[in-house]
Amino acid sequence: MLRIEGLSVRYGAVEALQDVSFEAADGVITTVLGANGAGKTTLLRTLSGLVRSREGTATFDGQQLIGKDPETIARMGIAHVPEGRGVIAELTVADNLRLGMLYRVPRPERRAAIDEIYGLFPPLEARRHQLAATLSGGERQMLVIGRAIVSRPRLLLLDEPSLGLAPIVTAQTMATIRELTSRQGIGTVLVEQNARSALSVAHWAIVLNLGRVVLADKPERLATDAHLRHHYLGF
Amino acid sequence: MGFFVDVLLSGVTQGMVFAAIALGLVLISRATGVINFGQGAMGMFTTFLAYSLLEQGIGYWPAFVAALAIGFVFGALVERTLMRPLLGTSPLNPVIVTIGLLVVLEGVAGSIWGNTARKFPAGFSQRGLVIGTTRVAFSPFDVFIVAAVLVLVTAIVVLFRWTDVGLRMRAAAFSPEVARLLGVRVSRLFILGWALACGAGSLAALLVAPLSSFSPYYMDLNLIYGFVAAVLGGLVSPLGALLGGLVTGLAISFAGGYIGSDVEPMAALVLLLIVLMARPQGLFGGTMARRV
Repeated sequence: MLRIEGLSVRYGAVEALQDVSFEAADGVITTVLGANGAGKTTLLRTLSGLVRSREGTATFDGQQLIGKDPETIARMGIAHVPEGRGVIAELTVADNLRLGMLYRVPRPERRAAIDEIYGLFPPLEARRHQLAATLSGGERQMLVIGRAIVSRPRLLLLDEPSLGLAPIVTAQTMATIRELTSRQGIGTVLVEQNARSALSVAHWAIVLNLGRVVLADKPERLATDAHLRHHYLGF
Repeated sequence: MGFFVDVLLSGVTQGMVFAAIALGLVLISRATGVINFGQGAMGMFTTFLAYSLLEQGIGYWPAFVAALAIGFVFGALVERTLMRPLLGTSPLNPVIVTIGLLVVLEGVAGSIWGNTARKFPAGFSQRGLVIGTTRVAFSPFDVFIVAAVLVLVTAIVVLFRWTDVGLRMRAAAFSPEVARLLGVRVSRLFILGWALACGAGSLAALLVAPLSSFSPYYMDLNLIYGFVAAVLGGLVSPLGALLGGLVTGLAISFAGGYIGSDVEPMAALVLLLIVLMARPQGLFGGTMARRV
């Protein structure tokens, strides 16, 4: 269980996050929506230790995340898939996946763990010895998500996994994330600009506006309330 | 024919030394984007320390190993104390600091050991081997040089390709932020990269010292040759450094043998110029564009 209380982050004079509080339970997808500049990416970067917060706390299963460095947080089992540029293009597909396992999967179990990812995303197996630079956008997305899953995470932080993907690939990606979240009981925080597809898979939705939480509700309600949709999500 | 073979063999020996220097430059450049102009001077300094140990009556091999270990630790210290505070500043800053390191180390070495040329002993005989009835310009010590550098390059390749540490080092070099998000302690790997690089630089300095005289400045020209070798190799891979070193060594040896030793530095720079014009990514740099 991820619990965020009163989190505030400032970039110079700009308040990127103000007094943000919410919880993200295990086994469900919590989506964080909002326009460009609402603070969604900053929120994830703060949780994974890349950005320092000014105030507030964020705990995962009772362990404080604020103040820890990104390496420590990653080794706790919090997998942050950053927006767009998560693959290491100069490494092969297999090496990218191996990197996900270094600290969390014992050596004897690695082969089976990597085969499981290939089963989930067959195009990755076909290209396992190719440099990640040669992959298509959809395959790169499979690779970063596969690399996050192979680390046996307890919490997944996904930043715009649908960015630049064809609608059909987005739908497949979302379905895979939902399946894994419930089957493995991991918590998932899904940041999306593509509110429509996020709402279709999420169990709980948070809306950020100018760094503040303006709404926390069931996705169904957000999806059906035309006023809310129009006001915060722009569709 | 005999002369040609001698020139060829001496080119191979020199090329191996340049390869070790290039390897040191590549290790740091790939990990941190910095060209370490202080590397030759750091190797010179550790070689002088080895010389002092020899004067104390310590044997050649203990002194040799000690100098390598000192080079390794020296590299780690330079990263931790001089380079670390410059992370995130202008990319020119660390380069200027390495040039400062070169000047300071040469000055300090001069004031401790003096600027006169000395003779550094070799671990094996430097008399040319006899093949059939002719003596060639390739001594047991030259065999050792070739073997030592081949072992070093092989070890680095194995480290990078087949070990977890090597995978972490590559990830940290290519994409530090993603590496951190995967739990890789990038800053520690920068220390290891500098340590390995300066270990390689010390090996090169120890190997080349007995080939002529040595003084605080004897590595300056060698560093330039090593730099040419590194650029030729594309500044990315250990194998590129090895091949770049060989090409540079042969070019210099043939230019020196057939035209005159005065043109050796010019031959290296002409070679660099030609490669940069025809293949800016280096002869062995693949197709990946690279800022130098």
